[in-house]
Amino acid sequence: MTTRFDLHQENLKKIFCPESVAIVGATKAKGTVPYDIVENILKSDLNGSVYPVSPREKHICSVKAYKYVIDIQDPVDLAIIVFPSAVAHMALEQCGQKGIKSVIIISAGYKEIGEKGIEREEQIKEIARKYDISFIGPNCLGVINTDPDVMLNASFARQMPEAGSIGFLSQSGALCTAVLDYAQAKHIGFSKFISFGNKADISEIDLMYYLMKDEKTQVILLYLEEVTDGKALMDAARDVIAQSGKPILIIKSGRTSEGASAAASHTGSLAGSDEICNAAFEQAGILRCDNIEEMFNKAMAFAYQPPPESNRVAIITNAGGPGVLTTDAAVKQKLEIARFSEHTTKLLKRHLPSTANIKNPVDVIGDARADRYNAALKAVIEDDAVDGVFVILTPQSMTNIDSIAQEIVGIVKETKKPIYTSFMGEADVASGIDILLRNRIPHYILPESMCKAFESDYRFHHKIKGKEFVPVNVSNINRDVVERLISGILQSGRKNIEEDEAELILGAYGIPVLKGKLTGTEEEAIRAANNIGYPVAMKIMSDDIIHKFDVGGVVLDVKDEKEVKDAYQAIYKAVSKKMPEAEIRGIWVTEMAQKGEEVILGIKRDPAFGPVVMFGLGGIFVEVFKDVKFKVAPLSEYDAQEMITGIKGYKLLSGARGRTLRDVDSIKNCIFRLSQLAIDFPQIKELDINPIMVYEEGHGCVVTDAKIMF
Amino acid sequence: MEKQEIQTRVKKVVGQVLKLEDSEIADDANFIFDLGADSMQSLELVAGFEEEFDIEMDQDSALEIQSIDGAVDFIGTCL
Repeated sequence: MTTRFDLHQENLKKIFCPESVAIVGATKAKGTVPYDIVENILKSDLNGSVYPVSPREKHICSVKAYKYVIDIQDPVDLAIIVFPSAVAHMALEQCGQKGIKSVIIISAGYKEIGEKGIEREEQIKEIARKYDISFIGPNCLGVINTDPDVMLNASFARQMPEAGSIGFLSQSGALCTAVLDYAQAKHIGFSKFISFGNKADISEIDLMYYLMKDEKTQVILLYLEEVTDGKALMDAARDVIAQSGKPILIIKSGRTSEGASAAASHTGSLAGSDEICNAAFEQAGILRCDNIEEMFNKAMAFAYQPPPESNRVAIITNAGGPGVLTTDAAVKQKLEIARFSEHTTKLLKRHLPSTANIKNPVDVIGDARADRYNAALKAVIEDDAVDGVFVILTPQSMTNIDSIAQEIVGIVKETKKPIYTSFMGEADVASGIDILLRNRIPHYILPESMCKAFESDYRFHHKIKGKEFVPVNVSNINRDVVERLISGILQSGRKNIEEDEAELILGAYGIPVLKGKLTGTEEEAIRAANNIGYPVAMKIMSDDIIHKFDVGGVVLDVKDEKEVKDAYQAIYKAVSKKMPEAEIRGIWVTEMAQKGEEVILGIKRDPAFGPVVMFGLGGIFVEVFKDVKFKVAPLSEYDAQEMITGIKGYKLLSGARGRTLRDVDSIKNCIFRLSQLAIDFPQIKELDINPIMVYEEGHGCVVTDAKIMF
Repeated sequence: MEKQEIQTRVKKVVGQVLKLEDSEIADDANFIFDLGADSMQSLELVAGFEEEFDIEMDQDSALEIQSIDGAVDFIGTCL
């Protein structure tokens, strides 16, 4: 059976490469969306036939118009519906009758306007399913294909962009026009340009897969306002990167942390939607960008230059200050400042004045003209210790800016190493920058942006691309026990459970927990302590008491039967005084855990990405510094390793400065088991293990407190 | 007023506003999809119906009316 995904992949071919296009709802009124789309298609010199469809007009832009799409005798590959949403469904129905499978619905007035619009959106989705139609939109700007064999501008953008190797997808139509304008000024070209609006049918995932196979596209950019199915987006990104090696850069707007404030656990309060989105993108190999400028800065690097072999860079500058700034920025991005070979040093010495700095960063001195830049660039680019070059220029009175730009263009054509440029300033350097950009040489106003772009390119090609995602499976879990426990808890109407029950669940999933027993009398507590062995800890168990210590509900290091009896009485007395209304389930008698490094583990469920696992150091590190990492379940070995080593306080676990090396493998094991628990039991909304004691290498770890929210 | 008379007068208004011959206006024609009315003409149609039938139509409900037969039914309830 053909799935909607397969159908979309087939129908997208005719959305981007149609041999005949009908604009349904076209008018003669200049300055309107329907008119501009007809005009844009005609102006873009489409390699195919154009059929305006208009209830009243006989001709539009000198092209014969049809009353209905079904009146067109010839087959139509693509219909662009521009009728108002109130009647767009009627047009879509006729497209179905005509046998048109590929449609773009430009019209607004759907789910973005509320209830009435949601109804309309459902109506067009139903018609699309009935006729096996795939549509982009509604509420979108349209699509552009710059392929010279097609030349389609099926949008109401002001201009057709230059051809290039960047595929741009956007949920916002208005942003598309701004991006086109920005790109035009920088001569940034596109392979495909797609505004997908409300993504009621064809989604960003379908489009990513289409661009994956599109030979003209080398870099995929995506502007996203909402992640509908985060898991599917992650899977698609991994797949696209693995199959094509094309980088995916995403701006995800709406970086708010609403929802986090209402959370009931540490994990919940720390895991805002944006933090989870960051984690998910990182896991999937997506390069997240904060803004349009950052996105195109990076896209230029990917699209224009070969990837660097490694991260060793040479810097050529005609001014000391900018050279130092670039060096600082490079080091901050963990790039290596290349050490030149003796041969390179000799060449530089031969061609540069005695006052020049022939070490990296190379300072060709303020009076440098094109010949000096040429000599320095040729010398360093040939050095085996150099993987890429940053060329910096400041406009001084004798600097022949355009000639220097031309020299760089010439050298770029002859090398397989990436060369990035930063001509600092604005007015005087404008024509030089224009030469660079027209020749597809990445240019950056700031050296910092240049270094970030290089780092992204390096990281993608050496650390992301080719990395296989293999989720770790865990064995020795007792799912039935947890099933029974959770079903009992939920049947009793309870929304959260404490240490005693939480540890039964964690224990069933192979996470090390302390021996313990819930007791209802002094005698039971003494028996339990004798069985467990002294010293023990005793804790009040009540769903009504969140902070047990604060109400005197915990006694630690209880050494014998008498102390058990005393502790039992003391706990009941303190709690009945401070929280007389609390419903007590009993006293939890448990082993005293040995002191170890305290870490925190947790689970949260995100509406878009599903189960998320959290790891961090406990105590002050989580409370004050929020030094935690998130990953979306399931996790690979690499994910877990990265999660643990990625926190700032990792040195406390890795034996730095004479500290004990901790059993990191045991934490990893707990992370995998917790991830499995989160996947297996969607009833668990949040889970906190705080703390889990981690002992020295080879001695494992143990949970000392936990709670679960349903 | 008879439904037939309402329909005749509705078609007359539509013909005047959209500059169409009576023969071009089917009984179930949609103002936008079949007759090509734009948003301004949709407002003019509502004003034309109000004047023709000496009624006051709620703006939101009136703009929901998209066809000749829809207008006939709606105006019938106002008279």
